[in-house]
Parts: sequence; structure tokens; C-alpha cells
Amino acid sequence: MHPLLRRPAVFQGLAALVALGLVIGPLGPLLLAVLRGDAITQLGDARVALVFWRSVWMAALSAGLAVLVGLPLAILAHRTRVWGAELLAMLTPLTLLLPPLLMAQGWNGLTGWDGLWASVFVLGMCYAPLPALLASRALRTQSAAAHETALLMGGRRLALREMVRAARPAVILGASLAFLFSITDFAVPDYMAALGETFGVYPGHVYTHFRDDDYWSGARAAAPLVLLCGLVLYLGLWARDRWGAEQIGSERSAQPMSWGKHTTLASVLAWALLGLTLLAPLTRIVYELGVAGPEAPGTWGSRAGESVQAALDRGREDIGRSFRNGALAGALALLLAPVLAHVLVRAKGWRGRLLMTLTALPLLAPGVGYGMGAISFANRPGWTEFYQGTGLVVVVFAGRFLPIAVFLLAERFRSVPRSRDDAAVVSGLSYPRRLIQVFVAPQLSAWLLAAGLVVVFAVRELDLAILLPGANQSAAVRYFNALHFARDGFVAAFGLLIAVLLFLPVMAFAAWNSLRRRDD
Amino acid sequence: MPLPGVGTLVANVSGMRATLVPLLALAAWTLPACGGAEHDLVVYASHDKEHSEPIIKMFEERTGLKVHAQYDVEQNKTVGLVNRLIAEKDNPYADVFWNNEIAHTIRLKKMGLTQPAESDATRVMPAEFRDAEGHWVGFAARARVFMYSPELLAERNTELPPHVLAMSAAEFAGHGGLARPLTGTTLTHFAVLSQQLGRERVLQWLRDSQETELSYTNGNATVMKRVTQDDFPWCLTDTDDAAAAVANGYPMKIVYPHQTDEVRGTLLIPNTACMIAGSKNPEAAQQFIDFLISPEVEEYLAKSRSKQIPLNPGVDLQLSSEELPLPYRDYEVLAVDWEAAAEELEAVQGEFQKLFIQ
Repeated sequence: MHPLLRRPAVFQGLAALVALGLVIGPLGPLLLAVLRGDAITQLGDARVALVFWRSVWMAALSAGLAVLVGLPLAILAHRTRVWGAELLAMLTPLTLLLPPLLMAQGWNGLTGWDGLWASVFVLGMCYAPLPALLASRALRTQSAAAHETALLMGGRRLALREMVRAARPAVILGASLAFLFSITDFAVPDYMAALGETFGVYPGHVYTHFRDDDYWSGARAAAPLVLLCGLVLYLGLWARDRWGAEQIGSERSAQPMSWGKHTTLASVLAWALLGLTLLAPLTRIVYELGVAGPEAPGTWGSRAGESVQAALDRGREDIGRSFRNGALAGALALLLAPVLAHVLVRAKGWRGRLLMTLTALPLLAPGVGYGMGAISFANRPGWTEFYQGTGLVVVVFAGRFLPIAVFLLAERFRSVPRSRDDAAVVSGLSYPRRLIQVFVAPQLSAWLLAAGLVVVFAVRELDLAILLPGANQSAAVRYFNALHFARDGFVAAFGLLIAVLLFLPVMAFAAWNSLRRRDD
Repeated sequence: MPLPGVGTLVANVSGMRATLVPLLALAAWTLPACGGAEHDLVVYASHDKEHSEPIIKMFEERTGLKVHAQYDVEQNKTVGLVNRLIAEKDNPYADVFWNNEIAHTIRLKKMGLTQPAESDATRVMPAEFRDAEGHWVGFAARARVFMYSPELLAERNTELPPHVLAMSAAEFAGHGGLARPLTGTTLTHFAVLSQQLGRERVLQWLRDSQETELSYTNGNATVMKRVTQDDFPWCLTDTDDAAAAVANGYPMKIVYPHQTDEVRGTLLIPNTACMIAGSKNPEAAQQFIDFLISPEVEEYLAKSRSKQIPLNPGVDLQLSSEELPLPYRDYEVLAVDWEAAAEELEAVQGEFQKLFIQ
């Protein structure tokens, strides 16, 4: 074996270089603008400061709500015996596949809620699957010994506390991510403000400035948001390190806990939580398929059928292109994420947290700024083929959403005992084999889920889809175009179609995993 | 802690191999698409994709030219094709911009991002809807109208405002709404009013209206929906949104209002087409612009769900005033100096943002 193959630094350096190459083009101009200096001083303007701080506390409340709903949902679905627990677990992430604006419309149609508090609520429900998803992965590997001891010593109450303790690090990270996604969302607050009391949020200020001719003005407006998101993520990581329970390595995972005579109550609670995050707004969206005025011809069923047919006819090719671009970005993430996640796991203390925060930068930057940066970098004579083709799309999508895959994998790699990695080093395994055998292969489902999330976010992405020539003819652009031109039935049908297509592989994989576990 | 057993490792690595096979197949399927598609013309279109897409396909079939079309969404939360055109100015990718309004087209012209594209076909269009220097040409307009629910209006025992600026009067304000003048046709509308009535008067009107019960929404489609949901009986919106409500089976009526007692006429905002400066395919671009403003396309758009108002004198729809009210024949049209209005828009946009982004 060549000695270089044993040196992690070679592979890690290579992966870091590739990752940097993916993001430096789009992110470079934005960071330059941030570093120009006066980014923070704009908060001296009372109107800008008011909008900024309103966004902060709204996002904090949404993140809190996401945890309040997401954590119990994860515990009930993954660690206890409730009715349809496996189905519950499979359906929980589906919310992430639906555009938050569609959920906002669903909730408004269902309840008539609008204004600031409705926005907080909808974003909380939209991003509840983030803490739920991260917590569920931690809960599934909870040590059987720890769980059984807690159950014996203090009954269900102590066992539940032990589950919360096991999930706490992942939940903190999930809450941070829910905060980041909530504070950068403009569509939901804008929609809710339009229906009820008027209020502005900071992303509105950012987007307004990106509308100006001066790119730097937009980047400058985005700077406080990027810096705040970085700080929140850093603090989230710090809190996780500070209070997070170290997972005790165990070859045996804990079994789901029985609720005994409280099974009905627990099951109703679990499905009610899923109702809040998914089923209730989804029901309204399904109703929207055929809803029309009193003078519209046909029945609800016939109109719904027409909407679905129109979605299939007109949107098929766009969906195909979106999936292809997303899949390529996901494939790139599959290759890079394990190496980068391994680096993050091995970096300790403030260095590790800083590295993780820097890794997240592409995700923290506003999509529009990222896209404008990509244009200023790649639109140049001689690069036309690359600029207009799928190549740029894959590079930009992979760069932007790679942090999601890296974070998810890093969380899973953290549960691998250091001793196992050290033993692999001692036994003389090359770095790629060590990475695969010790980290990736035992976390195969997390590895694929990480890439799957990259695909999901790439398919959902709108700002980049409008700005990049190779991504424009996409499902996201068709969806929002139809939304703007008030094609309600088509919007509902197309949104559901995208969600179903995104979810089918996840369902298939979950089913396969479940069968595999039963075989084991 | 020992290493995993050999059996576990073999199983895990086999699982990975099984995973890698479909991934390699995926790569084989997708990698050939990494280059750009061959094309003869690049069109940026901000019109409704459901209508612009078939028109572009029709053009391809007629001419045999291959078009690479790019679409917009015109939502508040995104920066669309106009900013992309600006970002691409040093190395233009688009040949033609088909804008569903006019102000940003003029803005692009002022920035030197368009070039003259005159032909016999463009010279047929009415002078007030084309650029004197030939940089842009208007077609298929939308009108800024009051859409109302006769039933709800009667139920609330109220009436429509007699003109646009009467919306904020106490007797009308609690019964209607409009989009915030931050983007799209509402921004253009208030820029036109600002240019014609004076900036301070319009800003004061907006400030005063915020103190009333007049409802502001984030877009014309949203305000239209609120009327169909019986939230209030009337709204100021575009004809295409009102037409969408009627097409969806809601019993709505449309009125073509004056702006004030003195400023007469309804505002028409045309689609515009312009050739991008530095276009790599100017001949094909001119062909496309001529096709867009042809009577055939205007008729298609007039008869579409969005009921665009034809501007080409060659169009003879043979539709009654009931079926499609036409400008000049059925209602007065507000005379607009579009260059001045676009300049005013640039100047006043920031003031509107200060009023509405809080």
C-alpha cells in the first residue's frame, strides 16, 4: 500500500479543496461584501433594527415550537410502541419536502389564521421535522443498557428523561437549523403579513436590496443575517458540546418502550403531532385540487382529476430535470460528505465548532446572493457551455447543500467510539478503507439520507433555479410561476406530485431498512 | 473497543456496493447532460409560463429555430430575470426579454442593456406603446381595474369607489384592498400616479391610507383571492387576475376606473419585448419579437385564460363589450409618458419601501 493512502490529511485536504472549489465562486463575492466593513452599522437605522430583531425573536419562537413538536414526535415514533409507529416515523420528514408557502396556504385555508403569530406557528410546524429527524437518529442508537436501567429504576418517567438526554445534542443542532431556516424564510411571513396585520421581516430587507442594481448593496444587507446565523450555529454547537450526553457505545440498541394502558393516549398524541406538522395542511392542499367558485363547471372530483392531469402533462419534464440536477448534487455530496464529516468529528473544542460554522456558510448565505455570486463568477467569455449547462447547476447546488449532508453525517459519526477508529489505524487500514469500514458502512442509511436531503433541498430551491440557466426549467420555477398566476388546482396537484416523487425513494428505503432489521 | 467482526464488515461493504451500482447508473444517465443544450435563441420570459411556453413552441415550429427559454416567478421573495440580465451585462446570455410589464424594460434601456429592434411589424404598433428609439415594443396589455363581488357589495350595502384615489375615503376603505406598491404592476401604477399627480401627494395618500381600514396584500393574486373568499367586496387588481377569478367560477365583475376626478382613464400596462444589447443572435431575436407582437399571438393571449388586451390594430377579435371590453371602444385609457414614469419609479421606489417594509 502506498504510504500516502494511510495519510488522512491527503484525502481530507483534497475533499476540503473540492468543497472550497464548489463554493468559492458563488460565495466569494458575497463574503467580500461582508468583509467590506460597514455591514453591521446599518442596524443603527431604527427601522432596519426593528425588522432585524423582530425576525430574530420570531425565528427563535419558531425553533422553540419546532422542538416542542419535533422531539415528542421523534420519541413517540422511534422509541415507544404507538399505533403505526413505523408509518409515523416514515411520514415525519415529509413536511420538509413541501414548500413552506404551500403549508402556509394550507393552514390559512384551514383555520383562517394570519399575521405574525400565524407565521411563527407555520414555520415552527414546517421545520419541526429537523429536530425530529436528528433526534430520531440519536434515539435509535440509544444504549439498551442505559434505557433498561432507567426503566427499572424510575419507570417510564425516568426512561423518557433518559431518551431526552440521549437526544439532546441532536435536538440542539436541529433547533439551530430550524432557527436558520425560519429566519431566512421570506415567503411565509410575506404571505401571512399580506393576509393579516402588516409586519416586515429582515429577509424582505435583504431581497429588496438585491433588487437594486448594486450587488454589493444586497450583500451588505445580507451580512448581519449571515453573521447572526453563524453565531447561532456556533452557540448551538457549543451548547451541544457543553450539555450533550456522550453516547455510550453498545452493540445492542434499546427496544421501543411500551405505554401499557396509556397506549391509546400516546398514539393519539403522536398522530395529533403529525397532524400539526403534516396531515392537517396536507388535507387542505388535497381539497385545493378541485376547489372553485360556485359557477365553475364540473364536480370537485372532475376538477381535481384535471388538475392532477395538468400537473403530470405540463410538469413531467421539469420534474425530471429537477431530479436529475438534485441527484447529481446528491451524488457529489455522497463522495465529499463522509470525509468532511470525519474532519469535523475529529476537530475538538472551539476549533471544531468554528470549522463547523464555516462549513455552514454556503447554507447561511441568502439563495439570491449565492446565485448572483455564481453568475458573477461563471458568466464569462469562453465559459458559455459550463455557464448554461448542468455542470454549473450541480456545482452550485452541491456546494450550497453539502453542509446539510456533512452535519447529518457528523452527528452519526460522533456516536462511533474513538477507540474503533484508533484500532483501524493500528491495524494499518488505508484512510479510505478506514473511513468506509468504521464510519460509512455502519451508517449506510444516514449516508444515503444525507445525500437524499441534498436532493430534496436542491429540488425545492427557487432562487438559484431562476438565476442559473441550466436550472431554470425546473419544478420549482413552474410551481412558483403557477402560484403567482393563481392556478390553485395546478399548484396543489403539482406540489403534491413533487412531494410524492421525493418521498417515494425515502419510503422505499425506509421499508427496505425495516425489512432488513426484521431479518436481522 | 474491537473492530466490527468480519461478517459485519462484509455485510456492510456489500451493502455499499449494492448502493453504488444505482449511483453509477445515475451518473451514466446524467453526465451527458452536463453541457449546455444547443439553441439558436435565448428568451427570458416573465409572462405566465402556461401561455408563454406554447407561444415559444409555436415559434419553434414555424421557424425551425431552437429556443432556450428561461422563466420568472415574479414573487416578492425572489429576484428575477431583470436582475439576472443586469448581473449578466458584461457577457449577455439572453437575446430577447419578454417582460410582462414595462417599467423594468425601460429601466434596462436606460442602463444600456437593450438595443434597437425595429421592423415593419413593430412600426404597426400604436406609438404610445413602443419606444421612439425602437428599444422596446408593447403588446398584450393588462388593465388596472376594480374587481368586485356584486353579491357582497349589496350585502354590505356599499358601493365601489368612483376612482382609484377614492379607495382610502372613509366610506370605501373598510370594504376593499390592493397590493402593496413594492413590485409588479402595482408599483408601476403608483409610480405613474406619482409622476402625474406629484410625488408628495401620492406618498401622503399612501401614508393616510395606512391609517384607514384599506387592506394591503403582497400581490394582485392574493388580493383577488381575498375578494373571492368574501373577505371584502372589491379590490384594485389586474385584468388577468380578475379573469382568473372568473375562470375559476367566482361571480365577479370588473370596472375600468379613472385615477381621480381630474386624471381620466384606466391604466393599461403592456407586455414588452426588447432585444438585449450584445445579443449573439440578433436576426433570430428580431424574428421572435415580430412574432410576439403579431395579431396571431395577441389573439391567442386575448382568448387565453388571462384575457390580455390586444394592442395591435390588426387584431379583430369580433368580441362584444360584454365578452372582452376593449380600450378606446369601451373605456378611456390613461395617457402615460412611460419614460418619465419609469424614471419616477426609480426615484420613488425607496420611499414606498420605507412606508411598507416595517
